[in-house]
Parts: sequence; structure tokens; C-alpha cells
Amino acid sequence: MKSIEIDERGGSVAIPIPRADWQSENERFRIGVRARSFVPSFPRTNDADSMTNHQALPKPNAEVLRKMDDEALITTFQSGDLDVYRYLVERYQERIRNLLFSIFRDRDFIDDLAQEVFIKAYQALPHFRFEASFYTWLYRIAVNKSRDELRKKKTRRFFSFQTLDEGIEKELNVRLSVQPENRDTQELVAMGLKTLPEKFRTAVVLKDIEGLSYEEIAEVMQCELGTVKSRISRARAMLRKALKPLMEEV
Amino acid sequence: MKKMNEQKLDALLSQYVDGVLSEQEAQQVESLLAVDTSAKQKVVELKNLKRLLALQPKLNPDIGFWTRFSVAMEEQKEEEHNLLPFPRKFIPAITVMATAIVVIIGTLVIQNRIQLKQFLSTKSQAVREVYEKNILQGSLLPLFSKVDKEHALQFSLFGTLPLDDKSETAFRVDEQSEKGYRIEVGNNLKSNTKSVTFDRFVAEVKPSVKQKKIIDSLLELTGRRIESSVLIGENNTLAIAPDLPKLNRLMVTNIASCLEPLQRVSFERLLEANNAPYKVTVKSVQTGKAGNYVQNIPKFPQGDRFVIITPDTMMYSQIHIDFDSLKRQMEENFAVVGVRRAAMLKKIIAREFQRVPKNMHFPMTNQIFGGEEFFSVEINAPGEEDNQQQMRVVVQPRFRKQIFTPGMPNHSTQMRIWKDTASSDITP
Repeated sequence: MKSIEIDERGGSVAIPIPRADWQSENERFRIGVRARSFVPSFPRTNDADSMTNHQALPKPNAEVLRKMDDEALITTFQSGDLDVYRYLVERYQERIRNLLFSIFRDRDFIDDLAQEVFIKAYQALPHFRFEASFYTWLYRIAVNKSRDELRKKKTRRFFSFQTLDEGIEKELNVRLSVQPENRDTQELVAMGLKTLPEKFRTAVVLKDIEGLSYEEIAEVMQCELGTVKSRISRARAMLRKALKPLMEEV
Repeated sequence: MKKMNEQKLDALLSQYVDGVLSEQEAQQVESLLAVDTSAKQKVVELKNLKRLLALQPKLNPDIGFWTRFSVAMEEQKEEEHNLLPFPRKFIPAITVMATAIVVIIGTLVIQNRIQLKQFLSTKSQAVREVYEKNILQGSLLPLFSKVDKEHALQFSLFGTLPLDDKSETAFRVDEQSEKGYRIEVGNNLKSNTKSVTFDRFVAEVKPSVKQKKIIDSLLELTGRRIESSVLIGENNTLAIAPDLPKLNRLMVTNIASCLEPLQRVSFERLLEANNAPYKVTVKSVQTGKAGNYVQNIPKFPQGDRFVIITPDTMMYSQIHIDFDSLKRQMEENFAVVGVRRAAMLKKIIAREFQRVPKNMHFPMTNQIFGGEEFFSVEINAPGEEDNQQQMRVVVQPRFRKQIFTPGMPNHSTQMRIWKDTASSDITP
């Protein structure tokens, strides 16, 4: 990791922006044009030694970068400092992991998928246009990724002649039939979620587990607001039906 | 309808639980809940469901996520720079497989090396046979197999060249007209020109040793050029280099350029005495070294553009032939090639071209004329006037009333080339 130096003299903030080896001159130029006002016109260099020559500038403070909002970090990233991506990952890694966990309920599988989401976001971040908030954009990538993965699983199940959904429904009914004191409510709810079709499951997870608003869900799932309301309503209806004994008990 | 209403009610209650309804809509729902116990039960269940979902366990924070992610990123970057058509992780397996394949192939080659050698030898022999067959039995052969110094001189001075050992055929250039050249092959054509041997030329002109060497070189070059300029082939095909008629005048010019003024006078007397088609005039009295006056020595080989003449048509075409290889092969199979060439020439002259109607017009301003025992082809070709203007020695056509006398009883075969002579000269 390259160190980041920040110059706060005179109320301005100067961030040395080393150019990544793989980054082309054209990309630098394009990114440079797009840079926001808070990004200083610091001499850009890809020479690591020359970075240390700026002794007059204070050393970069990771804490300052952590306090930057998403937009500022993304702008810095787009200006050439790719290392700030770490702070975006650290900020959203748990949310993405939990979103994927809520959808898939598979701990071993979640981390690999979360990595793929962040790699995809890293590749697409230079083209991020600030038309949506970063986290809805990131959620969109995660939802698309999970959708692809669910389709793959469905295909694999088809070719392996498995009927996983039917099995889950049967198992759910068996577990619901036991005495209430012996039930694991959280596991039953998780199983109930698994019985839902992907688009309903994702909608209800985003609403009731992740706490997104209808508008944000529409943005993440790239559909109309009315569609989101309908999906959530239907998902809840399906869940109430699947978890009927649990609902009555509660 | 009831189902639709139930769905609408579910959606309304779901949004009511989420608190996203307007104040008016919320009041309507609350009024409904006051009277409808089932709706009220749904709201309870929805609230319970929301609470259960919100209580779903979260994953413990993963402090090593970034470390693993950065490693995955590095691997991703390496894959992006990977020029191999497969992921890097497969390199060891593919290396092992490639090594195994090489070992297997090597073992097979070693075990079957004798058979392999025989196979390659057979194939190379077959290729050689195909090449030789194409060269020796191809559709085109040089009309003039060996043009020596005497024949080259004959062609240079008089535009005639024997086609066979008996010297019953001739090759001639005439420039009495102003446009085009004409090539003629036929019987009963006789030239009234005399032949001049090289010894006679030396005796008359008396060139120095150096001049003689230059003239020898020019004649040798001319001979090779003639050999590669006229081809005959199967199916009555004749291929002639379109710039061949220029060679005659150029050679007279070059020979005259090598000579001193007095020698040039002797040369002109020799040409005049033997009724040569060209006369030599001197543009100025400047003198210089003889070698410097040799102009535009024909390069060998010339371009591969030929006029292809068949009984049906005439066209320009590119013929790519390695004449050196062809000549070597012909020398090795001299008798066979000679017989084939004689047969081709006989076939051309004897029958096919006699069928061509008189004054039949062909594309590219070329014409073929047919007679009883000959045929002639007229080709428009640009002159060498510009070059002539720049040369100290100028060669001009000598006026002659009649050069060719068709219909003589000796039945000789002649190929004649001249520049757009009157039609009476070529048509009996």
C-alpha cells in the first residue's frame, strides 16, 4: 500500500495521487478533468521515491480518509489514488456480506461472492457518475451478482435433478409442526425466505432486513416503485403463509 | 375480483405497516381495521413478520476481509495481464501435459524415423517430379532455344533470326511506318536481306579489342533476351514480349555508339551494302570513351508481360517463368524439348492461324491477319523517340521499297516484326 500524504496548510488539503502502473495516460487525463474541487492540484507522479521528497507536506492520515464521505473517496479514486478503495470496502463490506447472507444463507459461499462484488465495483468505479449514491450502486452490483448466482444454482440443480426448493418447503413444514418451545424461529424465518422466488426474496430482504426505502429498492433492483411495493407485499404474503404457525404463535 | 381485492388490501396493509401511506390512506386503513378483524390480524402478522426479519442474525464482522480481498485483487490483475488463453492456475497442469505430449511425439518419431525419412523422401521426389513436369511439359516453351553471337548479330543488323538449324526461318524488324509493330509467322515468306557474320563485321569495321569485348557482351545479352522473349505453347499459343521489336534498333544504336567515327562510317557502309533496315547518322562530332555511349542495354530478364496470341484471341498477360531454371532443364532434355517445340511451331503455322479472318479486329488496338500459309499480328507499341533524341548516335529506318517477298517457292517459315507496314507487305 502506498502512503498518502495530506497537506492541510492554509486550509487546503493536498493529496499526492500516484498513478497506478496499469493506468493509461488517457485515463489519467479523463479522470483529471472529472476531478472535484476538493481534490488538490498536487503534482501527480508514479515515482514512489518522489513521493517521499515532499517532506514539506504532512504524511497522509488514514483517519482523515476514513472520515471522508463516499463521494470524496470515489473522486479521489477516480483522480488516480486507487488505494482509497480500501476505505470504501471497509465501509461497506459488512453490509454487502450481510445482504448476500440474507439472500443465500450460506456463510462459506458469502465471502467469495462479496469479493466478486467488490472486484466488480473496483472495475466499474472509474465510470461511476454520481447519479446514484454509492451504496445503492454497490447494492445493485451485489443484487445482480446474487441473481446471476441464483440462476447458476438453478441451472446446476436442473442438471443434477435436484428439487431443492421443494425440499426446503417440506423441511420447513416439518420443523413448524414441532412444539413451539423446540422451534428455532430465526432458522425458520431463514428457511421461509429461501422458499421465495429470487425477485421477491431480494425485495423483502432489502426492505425488512437491510432497511432500504422503497425508492432505494427501486433503484437497486432497477424497477418501478409500484413494482417494488407489489413485490414486497406479495413476498410478505407468501412468508406469512409459509410461516403461518409462527405468525399465530407470535 | 375477490383475489384482486385481497392483493390490493395486502399491498395497502403492507405499506401501512411500513408507514409509507399518506395521511388520508392511513385513516382509511385504520377505519377498515376497526371493523375488519381479519385485516387487523393481517396487520399483526405483518408487524410480527417485520420484527422477525429484522431480528435475523447478522454475520460477525470479518476483520480479514480486506486482506483476502487485496490478494484476490492482485490475482485478478495478474489474470488481466495474462496473455495465455487459460488462467494462470492451470499453467503447471498444462506444462505437464505439454511435456507429456512432446515426449510421446518424440518417442513416436524416433521409433518410426526410418519410415518417416522414406515418407519425406518420397514426398520431396514427388514435388520435384511435379516441378519438372510443369516446367518441361508446361504449356509454354521458348521458341529460340539457343541464340548465339552470330544469330544475335543477324537479328541486330537485319531484324532476322533463324527459327531452326536449317536457317529457313527469320525474325525481322522494320520501321518504315510510324505506328505499331507487326509480328508474322507463316510459310512462303523470304527476306531479300543478306547475312553478315561476326568475322565479316570485324573485318569491315575493325573494332579494337575493347570495342570487340563490348560488342560481344551486347550480343550475348541480346541473345539471352531473345530467348526469353518469344514462347510457344500447346493449343497453338504464342507469347511474345511486346518490347522485343525495340531491341533491334537499340542494338544497332549501341553497336554504333561503341565505334569511332571512321569505324561508324564503315559500319554504315556495311549496313547499306547488305540492305539493312537501319542507317546510322551522327548527331554531333563529340568523342568519348566507347563504353560511355552504350545506351539502354537491355536488362535480363525483362518484364514478365507478354502478348498472348491464340487462334481465338490476343491479350496481354503476366507470365512468371524462371528462365534460368527452364533453360537448364531444356539443356538437360534438349532432344525432347526440341521435338516438342518443333511440333508446336508446325502446328501453329500449318493450320490454326490460317482460319483467322483477314483484318479481324481484337481488343487493345491489336490486330491479327491471316493468310494462306502465314499469320501476322499487329501490336501498337510506343516508340523510342525520346531516347533517340538524347543519344549522340541516331539510328533511323532505311528506306526500302519491299523487304518481304511472300509466295516464293522455297516454303520457308518466317516470323516477321515490323512497324505498321502497308498491308500489301503482309498480305499476299
